[in-house]
Amino acid sequence: MAMHGMRGLSVFISDIRNCQNKEQERLRVDKELGNVRTRFKNEKGLTPYEKKKYVWKMLYIYMLGYDVDFGHMEAVSLISAPKYPEKQVGYIVTSCLLNENHDFLRVAINSVRNDIIGRNETFQCLALTMVGNIGGREFAESLAPDVQKLLLSSSCRPLVRKKAALCLLRLFRKNPDVVNVDGWADRMAQLLDERDLGVLTSSMSLLVALVSNNHEAYWTCLPKCVKILERLARNQDVPQEYTYYGIPSPWLQVKTMRALQYFPSIEDPNTRRTLFEVLQRILMGTDVVKNVNKNNASHAVLFEALALVMHLDAEKEMMSQCVALLGKFVAVREPNIRYLGLENMTRMLMVTDVQEVIKRHQVQIIASLKDPDISIRRRALDLLYGMCDVTNAKDIVEELLQYLSSADFAMREELSLKAAILAEKFAPDLSWYVDVILQLIDKAGDFISDDIWFRVVQFVINNDDLQPYAAAKVKEYLHKPAVHETMVKVSAYILGEYSHLLARRPGCSPKEIFSILHEKLPTVSTTTIPILLSAYAKILMHTQPPDQELQNQIWAIFTKYESCIDAEIQQRAVEYFALSRKGAALMDILAEMPKFPERQSSLIKKAEDAEVDTAEQSAIKLRAQQQTSNALVVTDQRPANGAPPPVPVGQLSLVKVPSMITTEDRNLTVQASSQDNGTLSKVDPQPPSADLLGDLLGPLAIEGPPGATVPSEHNAVSGLEGAAEAVDGSAIVPVEVETNTVKPIGNIAERFHALCLKDSGVLYEDPYIQIGIKAEWRAHHGRLVLFLGNKNTAPLISVQALILPPGHLKMELSLVPETIPPRAQVQCPLEVVNLRPSRDVAVLDYSYKFGANMVNVKLRLPATLNKFLQPIPVSAEEFFPQWRSLSGPPLKLQEVVRGVRPMPLSEMANLLNSFRLMISPGLDPNPNNLVVCTTFYSENTHAILCLVRIETDPADRTQLRMTLASGDPTLTFELKEFIKEQLVSIPMVPRAPAAAPPAPPAAQLTPQIPANDPAALLAGLL
Amino acid sequence: MPVAASAIYFLNLRGDVLINRLYRDDVGGNMVDAFRMHIMQTKELGTCPVRQIGGCSFFYMRISNVYIVIVVSSNANVACAFKFVVEAVALFKSYFGGAFDEDAIRNNFVLIYELLDEIMDFGYPQNLSPEILKLYITQEGVRSPFSSKPSDRPVPNATLQVTGAVGWRREGLVYKKNEVFLDIVESVNLLMSSKGSVLRCDVTGKILMKCFLSGMPDLKLGLNDKIGLEKESQLKSRPTKSGKTIELDDVTFHQCVNLTRFNSEKTVSFVPPDGEFELMKYRITEGVNLPFRVLPTIKELGRTRMEVNVKVKSVFGAKMFALGVVIKIPVPKQTAKTSFQVTSGRAKYNAAIDCLVWKIRKFPGQTEPTLSAEVELISTMAEKKSWTRPPIQMEFQVPMFTASGLRVRFLKVWEKSGYNTVEWVRYITKAGSYEIRC
Repeated sequence: MAMHGMRGLSVFISDIRNCQNKEQERLRVDKELGNVRTRFKNEKGLTPYEKKKYVWKMLYIYMLGYDVDFGHMEAVSLISAPKYPEKQVGYIVTSCLLNENHDFLRVAINSVRNDIIGRNETFQCLALTMVGNIGGREFAESLAPDVQKLLLSSSCRPLVRKKAALCLLRLFRKNPDVVNVDGWADRMAQLLDERDLGVLTSSMSLLVALVSNNHEAYWTCLPKCVKILERLARNQDVPQEYTYYGIPSPWLQVKTMRALQYFPSIEDPNTRRTLFEVLQRILMGTDVVKNVNKNNASHAVLFEALALVMHLDAEKEMMSQCVALLGKFVAVREPNIRYLGLENMTRMLMVTDVQEVIKRHQVQIIASLKDPDISIRRRALDLLYGMCDVTNAKDIVEELLQYLSSADFAMREELSLKAAILAEKFAPDLSWYVDVILQLIDKAGDFISDDIWFRVVQFVINNDDLQPYAAAKVKEYLHKPAVHETMVKVSAYILGEYSHLLARRPGCSPKEIFSILHEKLPTVSTTTIPILLSAYAKILMHTQPPDQELQNQIWAIFTKYESCIDAEIQQRAVEYFALSRKGAALMDILAEMPKFPERQSSLIKKAEDAEVDTAEQSAIKLRAQQQTSNALVVTDQRPANGAPPPVPVGQLSLVKVPSMITTEDRNLTVQASSQDNGTLSKVDPQPPSADLLGDLLGPLAIEGPPGATVPSEHNAVSGLEGAAEAVDGSAIVPVEVETNTVKPIGNIAERFHALCLKDSGVLYEDPYIQIGIKAEWRAHHGRLVLFLGNKNTAPLISVQALILPPGHLKMELSLVPETIPPRAQVQCPLEVVNLRPSRDVAVLDYSYKFGANMVNVKLRLPATLNKFLQPIPVSAEEFFPQWRSLSGPPLKLQEVVRGVRPMPLSEMANLLNSFRLMISPGLDPNPNNLVVCTTFYSENTHAILCLVRIETDPADRTQLRMTLASGDPTLTFELKEFIKEQLVSIPMVPRAPAAAPPAPPAAQLTPQIPANDPAALLAGLL
Repeated sequence: MPVAASAIYFLNLRGDVLINRLYRDDVGGNMVDAFRMHIMQTKELGTCPVRQIGGCSFFYMRISNVYIVIVVSSNANVACAFKFVVEAVALFKSYFGGAFDEDAIRNNFVLIYELLDEIMDFGYPQNLSPEILKLYITQEGVRSPFSSKPSDRPVPNATLQVTGAVGWRREGLVYKKNEVFLDIVESVNLLMSSKGSVLRCDVTGKILMKCFLSGMPDLKLGLNDKIGLEKESQLKSRPTKSGKTIELDDVTFHQCVNLTRFNSEKTVSFVPPDGEFELMKYRITEGVNLPFRVLPTIKELGRTRMEVNVKVKSVFGAKMFALGVVIKIPVPKQTAKTSFQVTSGRAKYNAAIDCLVWKIRKFPGQTEPTLSAEVELISTMAEKKSWTRPPIQMEFQVPMFTASGLRVRFLKVWEKSGYNTVEWVRYITKAGSYEIRC
């Protein structure tokens, strides 16, 4: 070896090895570097021997990890030395010390080229090795053609050609744009005819790189590859030195099959047949033996063959043969082989049709789940997850659940997530799904992400028949001694919502449910307490008539948490306490959760994200896994309540949604919905801020449960009517298109309510236009005049007004001019005929264009029920016979109204009077009662006498009993609802500035400027 | 009193435990592995003497080829811990007779265990005074009770010593010749700009004593420091004779100095321990006499050549001389060849520290030898970063010279028996970090 005789070098190395510590070593190295520097600087120059010696030292120091930033020139100059020892040092040191970006390499290129084109094979090898190791761009540019020539030259020995092929491979990988491979297909094909297996192996590596770049050009190589494979498989003409444990050159086999996988398919039937024969032979001939090395080699070949089989979409027979083989592997004791078996089976899953075959091995795979090796367990879990479908879901999920309690912690999260997903994807029935998830939470509560329990709650809410089952189930779990917090969350939520469905069962009275839940309160964290509080409020709400003891208990808890440091808990406690004092009105406020709009399961999404990470990078990856997520949930869903009905006033639903989701539900919705779909997102942006209470007391929130007041609500096809009712109920007008940039002046809702009482006033105003109304009512006829006033100096164009009348009104609007001149006012008379009693209102769809702004406004017209009333005085003699003659429903209706805005009796009388309901004093002996008479006019019925008796309780002004009687059942009902709305809502005065109506458009309202008194402005207009 | 240690380990440079002692059981026995893993085998070693790993604090210190590691899990007093280590090392040195290294530890396992038991109890430092410990921890074997010859020296009463008024001195010492040695040792720290202006300068000094005195002598030391002289002039109501007075900062005394008398009379009076001890330490920042001035000129001539000229001027008295002067002139890392011309001493290039090292064995006062050197640099791959020019460092010792100008005015010895004593006083100034920017 060249080292012989280099005493200085060996002394230095032994010095370094004898160093006691790093510091000594550093001192020795620094000393030596100083020495080397001095030598290199010597004017007399160095003998080649000395140069070689110091360059070796430099390399040694560099390999020890010290910076060597000189002496490169010397190293490079050694490359051009004539003798092998020096040249070798030069090449080795250059390839170690320099990388492709060093400028010094340029100096070396010429000498390297001389060596490559020279005739000395040893030097050629040295040069090719260095070029292959560095592989820089400049090398590629100047040397690639020479290397290519060398590779093809027939005069070279195989040794040189092998190195040339590998060198070219490296150059091509580093700089595919520089190395010119055009027209190389033929040459590659020619190379593949080579008999020498060494050169073939190197060329095959090169071919793999070329084909992966562009397979189109190398079609001609395909049959040759198959031929090589055939040669190897038949073990023809394979020299002894290329046989490894009796396997003919496994490396070349693997590489050839890898190259074949880059071709999309094999068209030629002969080639295809030959290839399949070879593959068949490989599949048949591989077995598990004792010798590890032999196993490694034969399995490498086998797995590449499997990949190729999958790639080529072989016949089903062959596939099942593969699976059978893998099944054998899975059953082997040796963990490495089992791992490979499981992994490849998971890959096989991507190929269709084999699932059935894989299922045969289910038992073994499940057994692997208990393997001591965690990597095998993971693979088995992946495989189980992948092979799960409707038929075996139940078994697999149950197996996973069983395994969960013994699984190690590192896997539990993944395991529980996967179990949850499988349960959701393939659940045969929903109660099973609920069972599974509850078991999951029970067994691995710590590893259950929020998504999982949100999902189960969504399911329960969206499926009515599931609700009692789920409630009963969670109650069972709560009886267990140690309950995980997630379980407490789920059960609090479900019991809060649905425990009343169980009320008849033994041990499920509200009181008992409450005590079960309340037991858990001390053990839970602050995130769970709010859910518990909500559950208490709901339980309280469902306890009708109120159980005094329970009420006091719950109130005590609310009071206790009113001063809680956590803002969320405190707010809930305060709000629920205030709400729960409202008595039966609570029922309306804390209505049941609406159904969730269906969307993609966040769990499945999560799992899909995770799958991307573990995805394999191989040729078969090209075929995407086509698993349709047939979550059965999606199928039988009714359109969710919040979905907009297909009517012109579609946007009304925006108002509808928030009104149904009461405060605490709204918070939960936000929690539970990680992704919002369109409708809900309208709701969410409202921060559940301090004015929530204001919201609740405001007009919006007080609304009957949709099912109770409006029976037709649920069938969304009721269209216009349903939508109009929605308007009516929600006592809020501003249904503007969200794109409106123009802000109305003043509160539209207030203006509407004022106009319900008066006959003239401003209906709407914004910076450009003011709409005033003047109305005359005579029996069932009405005449409204709309005053459209342009407030600006520019004309309003594209003015359009459209009346959307409800079914009971016949309305005719005279023509509205398209343009309103500057500062002008246009009058549009509107004829109204009342056909029958109804509380629905007409909507004016009004739009205009100002400049580039298109403004579209939808306004309710004050053609309300009370406008067709005519007050008449009634004496006692007339009243009582009438009252008695109208007996019992549907002509006579009685209702206890709760949540009435407290007001003195006189004020209530005034309010009624302004609705044209005439108070007849002295008819009732009790001074706290009011008796009201009026006549109702419509085209169908003409005049009908209506009699109303309102009994108020001086002790509690928030409730009253109302009895109505009239000759028409519809009228009785409608009038009752109308009066009720007027009494419970607070139409006129906003209670506090904070009580802004919560619908998004209205939330932008600017407070009305005092100077802009609507009446004054209108007076000016008129 | 704060906890100082839960355990103490003595490791060699490879990280093997030579000896260890656990004082509390709040740290695990394998804690030292953490030290080895996280400190010794990383580049952290030597950057920060206090590290926290896994809830435990590690304080370590290297003394010759031994690492002394203290492990504490509670909130310990770090200064106390380090002081303990320093004192313990001094104690071991006085027991082993000078050296403290790996071999000394290996040769004295039993003794060290005995001492470790004694000097710390449940993590609280105990008496570390060698004089007292030597009374009852002896290196001799236990004397057999059947030994024919009774001990000629009475067994000293250790308890009395520890609890007595003069804990640091044994009673009944007798010397034939009563001698006192007093050394004032100062080290000068300097940072000077290349133009010769002083950027930072201070002197830390200590007074070391060695007493071989009989009985219980009372000593009184007078220095030419400002406070003492002023007090004296007040008492004697006459101005001081000598013009120069020294202002001492941060004076700390050995425990034997009577502080009440120092406070009232401003004199340093004490009953000395037997043998060697450090009487006081001080610091001086004003009026420092620098022993040397250095005038460097370093020119970079192109990329590969440098010219270095250094003139060193001794500014102490012509009759005095400095010993062991070493001047280290830094040069760039890529220095390849050097050639020197010096007017005295020898110079060479040391590649291990990247310096030209100029040594002058004996350097008389009021002279100015010069060095001129040519340095050739080798060209490197990395594009040339401008050289940072570290400062020139100097080492020296000047006997009979104090940079502070401190002098012993008197040293009186008073003892009941009234014997005569011989007092020896020496002065020496050494270089601390004596640096001149170039």
